[in-house]
Amino acid sequence: MKKILAILLAALMVLSLAACGGGDNASTPADGGGAAAPAEGGEAAPAEGGEAAPAEAAGAGSELAGTYDVTIWAPDAAVDLTKSQVDAFNSSNELGITINATVEPVSEADAASNMILDVSAGADLYFFAQDQLSRLIQANALTKLGQAAATFVKDNNTAGSVLAAQAGEDYYAYPLTADNGYFMYYDKSVVPEEDVDSLEAIIADCEAAGKNISYELENAWYNAGFFFGTGCHSDWITDDQGNFIAIDDDFNSDAGLIAAKGIYKLVSSPIYVNSGNADFASGSAVVVTGTWNYATILDQLGDNFGVADLPSFEVDGAEYHIGSYRGCKLLAVKPQEDPVKGAALNQLAQYLTGKDCQLQRVEEFGWGPSNKEAHDDPLTQENPALAALDAQNEYSVMQPNIHGSWWDIAKVITTDIKASDGSDDALKAALQKYEDSIAAVFEMTDEVRNAFTVIGTVAGTNWDADLPMTADGDIWTSNDAFEMEAGTEFKCRQGKAWDVAFPADNFVVEEAGTYYVQLDAASGEVTLVPAG
Amino acid sequence: MNEKRHMGLRTLNRISNTTIYILLIIISVIWLLPFIFIVLQSFRVESTYQVGYVIPHEWGLQNYINLWNSDFKRWYLNTFIIALASAVLITVIQLCMSYTLSRFRFKLRGPMMRFMLILGMFPGMLTMIILYRVLSDLGLTQANAVPGLILVGVASSGMGYYVSKGFFDTIPKSLDEAARVDGATRFQVLYKIILPLAKPIVIYTILTAFMGPWGDFVFARYVAFGTSSGYNVAVGMYSWLTNDQIARMYTTFCAGGVIVAVPVTVLFLCLQKYYVEGVTGGAVKG
Amino acid sequence: MKHYSDLEFLRLSKGQRIGYKIGSFFYGIPRAIAGLFIKLWNLLKAAGLTVVREIQDICATFVKGDWKTKISFVIMGFGSLARGQALRGLLFLLFEVVFIGYMVVAGGHWLSLLPSLGKLGPTSEYNLVLDTYTTVYHDNSFKILLYGVLTIFFIIAFIYTWRVNVKQNKISEQILRSGKKLKGSKDDLRSMVDENFHATLLALPMTGIMVFTVMPIVFMVLVAFTNYDGAHNGFSNNLFTWVGLDNFNTLLSWSAGSGGGQSYSATFGEILVWTLIWAFLATFTNYFLGMGVAMMINKKGIRLKKMWRTILVMTVAIPQFISLLYVGKMFARNGLINLSLLNLGWIKEPLPFWENPTWARISVIVINIWVGIPYLMLITTGILMNIPADLYESARIDGANAWQQYRKITLPYMLFITGPYLLTSFTGNMNNFNVIYLLTGGAPTNPAASGAAGSVGYTDLLITWLFKITTGAESQYYLASVVGIMVFVVVAFISLVVYNVLPSIKNEEDYQ
Repeated sequence: MKKILAILLAALMVLSLAACGGGDNASTPADGGGAAAPAEGGEAAPAEGGEAAPAEAAGAGSELAGTYDVTIWAPDAAVDLTKSQVDAFNSSNELGITINATVEPVSEADAASNMILDVSAGADLYFFAQDQLSRLIQANALTKLGQAAATFVKDNNTAGSVLAAQAGEDYYAYPLTADNGYFMYYDKSVVPEEDVDSLEAIIADCEAAGKNISYELENAWYNAGFFFGTGCHSDWITDDQGNFIAIDDDFNSDAGLIAAKGIYKLVSSPIYVNSGNADFASGSAVVVTGTWNYATILDQLGDNFGVADLPSFEVDGAEYHIGSYRGCKLLAVKPQEDPVKGAALNQLAQYLTGKDCQLQRVEEFGWGPSNKEAHDDPLTQENPALAALDAQNEYSVMQPNIHGSWWDIAKVITTDIKASDGSDDALKAALQKYEDSIAAVFEMTDEVRNAFTVIGTVAGTNWDADLPMTADGDIWTSNDAFEMEAGTEFKCRQGKAWDVAFPADNFVVEEAGTYYVQLDAASGEVTLVPAG
Repeated sequence: MNEKRHMGLRTLNRISNTTIYILLIIISVIWLLPFIFIVLQSFRVESTYQVGYVIPHEWGLQNYINLWNSDFKRWYLNTFIIALASAVLITVIQLCMSYTLSRFRFKLRGPMMRFMLILGMFPGMLTMIILYRVLSDLGLTQANAVPGLILVGVASSGMGYYVSKGFFDTIPKSLDEAARVDGATRFQVLYKIILPLAKPIVIYTILTAFMGPWGDFVFARYVAFGTSSGYNVAVGMYSWLTNDQIARMYTTFCAGGVIVAVPVTVLFLCLQKYYVEGVTGGAVKG
Repeated sequence: MKHYSDLEFLRLSKGQRIGYKIGSFFYGIPRAIAGLFIKLWNLLKAAGLTVVREIQDICATFVKGDWKTKISFVIMGFGSLARGQALRGLLFLLFEVVFIGYMVVAGGHWLSLLPSLGKLGPTSEYNLVLDTYTTVYHDNSFKILLYGVLTIFFIIAFIYTWRVNVKQNKISEQILRSGKKLKGSKDDLRSMVDENFHATLLALPMTGIMVFTVMPIVFMVLVAFTNYDGAHNGFSNNLFTWVGLDNFNTLLSWSAGSGGGQSYSATFGEILVWTLIWAFLATFTNYFLGMGVAMMINKKGIRLKKMWRTILVMTVAIPQFISLLYVGKMFARNGLINLSLLNLGWIKEPLPFWENPTWARISVIVINIWVGIPYLMLITTGILMNIPADLYESARIDGANAWQQYRKITLPYMLFITGPYLLTSFTGNMNNFNVIYLLTGGAPTNPAASGAAGSVGYTDLLITWLFKITTGAESQYYLASVVGIMVFVVVAFISLVVYNVLPSIKNEEDYQ
């Protein structure tokens, strides 16, 4: 009968519910119990620990003794090495820690997206690329380092890589490599050594030989290099929790236009390939990529292997060396509920990011070390790819914490430039769109959007900086008085955009002097008020 | 006169047949080439990345040896277990479902079918996150991904009853009624009369259920979640084509592709007859 | 619009007939939509009336029932037990005990948290002795929502079972009053393989569907009304909470908000249009070309029929992730196709298969033909062989040429039989994740929609966009959920319109 069906269905549901609900129920009190213990431990500590906490950490060795089951995510290539390094740690550490490690191949590029999906099921220790730091902090997938650990990071690593592990005042991870940058591999039989400094010469060589240039410019990590090369900057400002507060960015400027012209030179060539892979076997003679492709490319090119820092490009007679991002790969410790295990994991992480382990990675894969001593080691210095990376470092920018959406927005600059005709207007439009998109994502407050600013050839600027104004009702007055010569031109614009700007034609100063700029937003009338 | 016209028709026929042969040959080549390429590349040992030629300069089995030394064995076994279990369980579930909906007229039948039609309009992709969490609560993720994937695959398979229902609809109802008059219970009718007639659709269902798990990678990747021992072939091999691995693993990927495709294809070709009957009998009628 | 009778229709010229057909199709659409709403309203009205009637019936049963029935209102199954139906009674009783037990132990807890979705997120503690930070986890919004929903399901199931229990008593009383005997437990068991065999067969599949399809969908629909995303994952960082209709506002508002360059609604519109174009082209190119190939193979006088078929069918067997990933790489800028053509000197520079929006869109459609033809070939082969041969015979005698035979016999027959298939195939293509994701991953990037939750490309369908939203930088599950609901609305709308306008699909009994 139908009733029986109903009862059966219901009973099955009960069973499944009991299975889920019951399981969860059992874990809820357990969570509570677990939560209580570390809190007590933390409170009890000050009585005895006091200020000597960092010193205590070493002495606490006996407390850490034990066996720990640990999951580690390492990039596929490094799985075996990591296993043997963990074994070495087990036999060498004096704290009695035994790590029972499962090492899984998870690429450092995917670490964040995996961790964010489910922190509790994620690895205890994992490799990740620097740009994911803020996402991981936001997901609470990184533990703040204790004092001793922070000191370890600061003392042993190069300045740049220390910054990479930092958010606000605190440190969140251990630098593992300092090689997350890119430079140029080339085929010596196509590009002669004397040409490697000039983008134009390289393009000409490749076009002549019918070979491609692989340079993944439709990726913000790569195209930003052109802008850094012409002196632009793009920095995000974060608070202590790693939340983004603001962006300071001038890609949409005259210098940015020069960079855009440089990009256009390359992407408008038929031999340009948007790829960061080791493409020498499939028609490329130049590939811009990093140390991770070193072994493959060495194999592909054999005797014709060449490696160098990025070239320069020429616009209006001036040379601009292409810049790049330089970053780190880091080792993270997932937040633990058990402080003892947490401390043991930190010990392991310090070992894995120490000098010896880093040198082993140089030897096996050519990964550039972040550890100071390892960096100065002859083994590192003699590696040609790492040498090229070092040469490029002079022009590179330390990769800051970057808002996740920026990558999607900034990569489009190249897409737009490629689709354009290369004229100044078209390139400017691409940059303007970039700026608008950033502003939109960043949800500028109404205050900023409604505020008027002065822009023009005022106070040493050249239509590239917005000088703030303050409102009193409809009357806006510039915060500073400007020294202006006759012929100085400017406008007052709203929200750093051109939709609302006064006067319609540029305001031209007739008589030199020091003035405040005043705007009646209701009528759009601009006047100069002599200062003093 | 009459004969001439006949001749003309014949020539016309010959011309059109020749054209068709040419077209068919072209089509066959287009359809087969990628697979031939994969096979050829799987034997290339002079390099492991993508190259601009098809025929290897050096032949060898290195890629297959690499496969043997990687976790591929485990992935293959996982997939095989999932495929086998799904083949059995999904077939049972779908046959129950489709037979009932085709043969019985009960009060909730119409609403139920409409309800499932509506459910099918929701993009399944959406529910992956929640299914992952449920499985994770049940402890069926990561290393235990295999039972987890079987559970989810089987539990939601009832929705795919259309094809086999279409097939059951083609079996005349008078058969059931005759048996019922003779005093057979419903169960006996199903077991003794319908099932033997439904052999093509049973095999079709088994075959499709068996083939499904070999290509499942989006949800399987969620469920296995960074634990290599829980991967199936698709998840594991997909990672070989990511940017940091493609240069080392491209030819290994091809070798893996061959190993995955060959048994499935052979099985498929052996049972092709039933598959065709199932598709034509069921697919268009649901 | 003027409605013609059959006779009038036959008098029309050819052009007029086509015009009339097209006209009446579109004329039918608004009526179909209006009909839908009327149906919906009637459904609601009927549901309301049913509830009222049920309550009246329950009250009546209580008032008129004997003491066994009255006790059954509190202790489920008591009536059945007292009247000698042990199996039923025990099942009812067991269900009540389990329900009450569950509600006391867990259900009440989850329900009480459901309105807030949790109060306290995780906190960080510093352990001075060990100089480490630890994290203490508290509430979990995700579980609260999940188990809250499950508990509500359970309560509904309980109310239903309780109602069945009450009705059972009423029926039993009636049967006893009329002097007949009640069915015993044995009869109940026997009925499970006979008159209630359908219930036995459906119990397991339907349970699976309820737990693993319906419940997740309800859950994800609810997520659309929360702020569940990467920054509020409900457990390990921040809790999430109810936000009402905010997310729908975000997706549907026209102002350029956080869509980056353009508003979400514009991005959504662009993707929707391409999704529809894609679904249309993918369905019909496959359909006609597949039919063409089937007809070529089936043509009289063509030999090796089985071989041709086998070659094509082989490609169905090979998992798509292998074939599509491989073919995708073949067409890449520096893939096999471009390199070979360059080597042969046929082209001067590589063809932008995946780089130019139009090229990429055409390429995915063409490659989809490659994927789809074998399957269509199989389906159409079967139907083509079922077309009665004498139809063609008589057509030939009337002097119809091959094209006329196709137009007048083959095509109408095919369209009639495969109508429902075409519809499901259309909606299936709208959600064809594999082909797009494995071939292009959505590329090339659409610059205008750069910031719209994961980078949107020109070949992205709604379903791949949805996937990108969940895996993108901000993991906006709530937005993915809203997009999913919109996909549902679009698919449901199209299906309903087609169902109501094309009569041949409506009646399933026609095919039996």
